[in-house]
Amino acid sequence: MRQLLLFLALVICLALMPLVITKVYVLNLIILICLYTILSHSWNILGGYTGQISLGHSTFFGIGALIFRYLWTLGIPPYLALCGASISSLLLASVIGFPAFKLKGHYFAIGTLALSMIGSITVQNIFPGVSFPPPQFLSKYDLVPIYYMALTVAVITIGLVSFLNRSKLGLAFVCIRDEEDAAESIGINTFKYKVISMTLSALIAGLGGGLFSFYVASYYYYVPFELGWSFDPVLIASIGGAGTVAGPVLGSIVFVILKELFAISLGQMNVLIFGIVFIFTVLFLPKGLIGILEMIQGVKTLRMPLRRGHDPS
Amino acid sequence: MLRFIQILSYGLLNGALYSLVALGLSLVFGVMNYLMVAHGGLIMLAAYTTFWAFFYTHMDPFLFILVVTPLFFIIGWILFKVLFQSLMKFPEGEKIKNSLLISFGLLLIFSNLAILFWTADERAVTTIYSGKVLDVFGVRLPYIGLGGVAIAIIVISALHLFLTRTYFGKAIRAVSLDHEAATLMGINVSKVCLVAFSIGFALAGIPGVITSLHAFNPAISFELTNKALIVLILAGVGSIKGVLIGGFFLGAIEAAGVYLVGTPYREVFGLILFVLILMFRPQGLAGKRA
Repeated sequence: MRQLLLFLALVICLALMPLVITKVYVLNLIILICLYTILSHSWNILGGYTGQISLGHSTFFGIGALIFRYLWTLGIPPYLALCGASISSLLLASVIGFPAFKLKGHYFAIGTLALSMIGSITVQNIFPGVSFPPPQFLSKYDLVPIYYMALTVAVITIGLVSFLNRSKLGLAFVCIRDEEDAAESIGINTFKYKVISMTLSALIAGLGGGLFSFYVASYYYYVPFELGWSFDPVLIASIGGAGTVAGPVLGSIVFVILKELFAISLGQMNVLIFGIVFIFTVLFLPKGLIGILEMIQGVKTLRMPLRRGHDPS
Repeated sequence: MLRFIQILSYGLLNGALYSLVALGLSLVFGVMNYLMVAHGGLIMLAAYTTFWAFFYTHMDPFLFILVVTPLFFIIGWILFKVLFQSLMKFPEGEKIKNSLLISFGLLLIFSNLAILFWTADERAVTTIYSGKVLDVFGVRLPYIGLGGVAIAIIVISALHLFLTRTYFGKAIRAVSLDHEAATLMGINVSKVCLVAFSIGFALAGIPGVITSLHAFNPAISFELTNKALIVLILAGVGSIKGVLIGGFFLGAIEAAGVYLVGTPYREVFGLILFVLILMFRPQGLAGKRA
């Protein structure tokens, strides 16, 4: 309950932000954090909760961006186009993603990597040009509607994942992650739950793609299909803490801020530093940054009853 | 017809390079279940090493195999001690997953380091025989590609002989079958793993030298890793002879794709084949059912 109130207060603060702060830079930063949160949570549902490490999220992200841009230029309002993008991503997942569940464990990871490479090469060949938003949007370009869309999608995503976190569905996912054979033996239909997990993940990735397309004015068609969009969510979710609600959010904040800090001084170095941090997280902090916070809290709660014990009253 | 033979022979020459690219990955994955996706990054670094060595000395690039291979052996030794030794104690599934994630991080680090140091420009070592071709009944075979085939056959046969005919090779094969049983037979498993891992790294140096003779850039590391994984799956895990066949097979498939559809989709054919094999024959084309 306290967490929910805290979350709502934070969302209201963020929603009022554009009225107070007119600095475009801050809004940009928050939009980016939202975008990476959405993408890494999308990966988190499949990779963090269900344990299916996907390296193919750029395909879902990219198809979302592609369809959103297409619908948007047809004159469909952005929020409807966003739904379309999300559904198109789901359709793609049902064509290529579900068969991928024939692949177990690490085969799934390298198989989805191959899928994302196929996607990126194919799009580069079919759409070699640059994608432009509708001209009437560009003529009165404003960051505020983009900001609200980013916030809305991020809130929906976080809400969905926190619902998962305490539902039976999420429990089934975690069960599959921890021991697939055991999960099957206690009556969990692993294929069904993997498909559900993939569905949710693809829907959210499509939303993220749509948001990208709404945010970035003009880009080469293949940009949202680039492999980086598959790799970043893995890094962000693992560093923040895969399989948690707050982990990917924390990871996204760290990722975006590191990126901003090093963008001017070191250019490419941000991925380099993130790669090193990532390796150390995998080796020494399997629970990610959230794990550190939990450890600190754990120490506190351990200490408290001790103190109470010494208290004479 | 001549065009088809020409495309196919190019494909097969490329295939020799692919089998060399996959060799180290296959050895490491076969012996200790580490999925070293950073392998392509190592090959890219080896290509840069060759490039700079050639730039300063102007000696024949094929000679640098003798320099690059030991250098990468040492790098492999160090990286195993620093990063990969702690994974030895995990059960098989965790081992694959963690090594995949760590080496994936390494891949990102390698490619970004390369961009930082040497920019994203295309480079290539240009020797006096670079553009020269051997004409066989109208089919043109570049000397560099033929050299690659020769090296691939020599290196893979040598590795095969090392694994089957020497005492240490026997130990490596024993470890790849069962770590615990090998320990009980008095084999120092961690030492064998260390050496096999370093050999895997050293084997990245050889395709690196050949890659440097074609055009390369830091982004090639992803492409090479991808080729290595495809050949690994085609060959079946842990099969050294299968790697040679798998590489040639991938080259031929890509050539068929180029002939039928066109050059832009060359890689897509290999990838589709890869996904299909993963789905229907995960033990590989040549491998036996587990």
